[in-house]
Amino acid sequence: MAILETESLTKSFGALTAVSAVRLRVEAGTLHSIIGPNGAGKTTLFNLLTGTFPPTSGRILFDGKDITGTPAHRIAHLGLARSFQRTNVFPAFSLLDNVWLAAFACSKSWRGLLWRRAERYLEPTERARAALADVGLAAKADQPAREISHGEQRQLELAIALAAAPRVLLLDEPAAGLSPEETRKMVALVRALKGRYTIVLIEHKMDIIMNVSDRISVMHFGSLIAEGTPQEIQRNPEVRRAYLGGVAA
Amino acid sequence: MRAWPLILVSICVLPFIVRPAIAAEIWIFAIFGLGLNLLLGYTGLLSFGQSTFFGSAAYVAGYLLKHYAIGVFPALGIGIAVGGLSALLVGYLCVQRSGLYFIMLTFALNQLFYFIAYQWTSVTGGEDGMPGVPRPAFLGVDFRDPMAYYLFVSALFALSLWLMQRIVQSPLGKILQGIRENEVRAEAVGYHAPRFKLLAFVIGGAFSGLAGVLYAMLFGIVPLEAISFVTSGNVVFATLIGGSGSLYGPIIGSFVFIWLSESMSVVWARWPLLLGVAFIIVVLFFRGGVVEAWNRIWRFSRQRA
Repeated sequence: MAILETESLTKSFGALTAVSAVRLRVEAGTLHSIIGPNGAGKTTLFNLLTGTFPPTSGRILFDGKDITGTPAHRIAHLGLARSFQRTNVFPAFSLLDNVWLAAFACSKSWRGLLWRRAERYLEPTERARAALADVGLAAKADQPAREISHGEQRQLELAIALAAAPRVLLLDEPAAGLSPEETRKMVALVRALKGRYTIVLIEHKMDIIMNVSDRISVMHFGSLIAEGTPQEIQRNPEVRRAYLGGVAA
Repeated sequence: MRAWPLILVSICVLPFIVRPAIAAEIWIFAIFGLGLNLLLGYTGLLSFGQSTFFGSAAYVAGYLLKHYAIGVFPALGIGIAVGGLSALLVGYLCVQRSGLYFIMLTFALNQLFYFIAYQWTSVTGGEDGMPGVPRPAFLGVDFRDPMAYYLFVSALFALSLWLMQRIVQSPLGKILQGIRENEVRAEAVGYHAPRFKLLAFVIGGAFSGLAGVLYAMLFGIVPLEAISFVTSGNVVFATLIGGSGSLYGPIIGSFVFIWLSESMSVVWARWPLLLGVAFIIVVLFFRGGVVEAWNRIWRFSRQRA
């Protein structure tokens, strides 16, 4: 069953059509990657899916319900959480507080919002600690986010998305700017999350993609030009021309 | 908190160092600053229109005290409500914009309220202010006695501080700081930033309203200045000098500001010059105000020891 689906999704900025009639089907429980050259419209597609801005036309269905035009702050409550391509955390907060904020947003009750001490909310606090443990940052929970390394900030970025206990995780280049060693760590992390969540992954590094994906969609100039398993994509001549062209031709 | 004993001692000692009226003014201005700092320090919103709520509450409650002889607590309740409601109105318009436009909107709406007060002389007395605000007795306690009124104000200040402490340690406090740190991320994890900014406005407005009524009763008059941008500026000024990064910053700022203005204004008419110098020093060297300066000195002395 498709948990996340788009129907002829289009976004234009003036004369530029960044996303053009995209029809994407993400099956529940799979890891679905979106690849494509820089400027192909991958991040714009993510921004549409997470309500950063509304599409020019087309529809987005989440779990069969039409969520087109739902603003960003409501998307998280539906069970769609994202990580950002450029590290986007709360720098002055401790790691735990970074994650706690996401956990609390999606907790069942906001009773005592104005007067109860934040630590007294056991359920979100537990979920936050679990998310930090999932990405291997539990030991640094009390350190401020601005003091940890770039690689760790990328892991934190992932933990913030996890803390919301989402049904679908949208990961925008989780390995952006990481060293080979850190990249290996991140790949292991994403692989560990596979199966527990439905994951939509944007990535540039082909070795990661081919390693972890169940299905791959290829974007080029705003359109999807191919979709299939990693083997099918590697064999697809159109993909080779458009994307792998420089390397494989 | 380790600050509480210090605050309780200050409350006890202060009226014997300065006149009780000035001591009361310090705590009133501190309540006003606490309300502002929820916006300035915790949410990262510079409101240049806090006197809108302070002044509106002072006028409305002052008018009712004067003409309808309402009690002290109804007056405070009305002041808090007027402060909160006017903040809801002003805040609703202001949170639609951010940055410089936000600041200008708070300022412009402040001017709007100011000119209403200025023109509506039959109620507000215009430039002459609204004199004759009484301090009604409560349960036989005569608040016309300066010491009795001082203790009353101190108790309300302590209550306000306790409340604000709870608020900033609550989830709301964290959410507001999250919005200050990274609004895009806060939205992405599921918080509608304008809604929470508005809530901060209303809470800040309610504190300002409380301060406004206490101020009107303290001096027995609502001067036009109570709703002018000068008052809005003063509270920002005092809070920055004290340190907007700390819960206690506005209290220290109020202390410095009121003490300077009361003690220096009789000696030297150009005393605001001193404030200007203090402000420049803070902005250039101690962005966290007196609180940060204190922390640095403390750390320095520990390292030496």
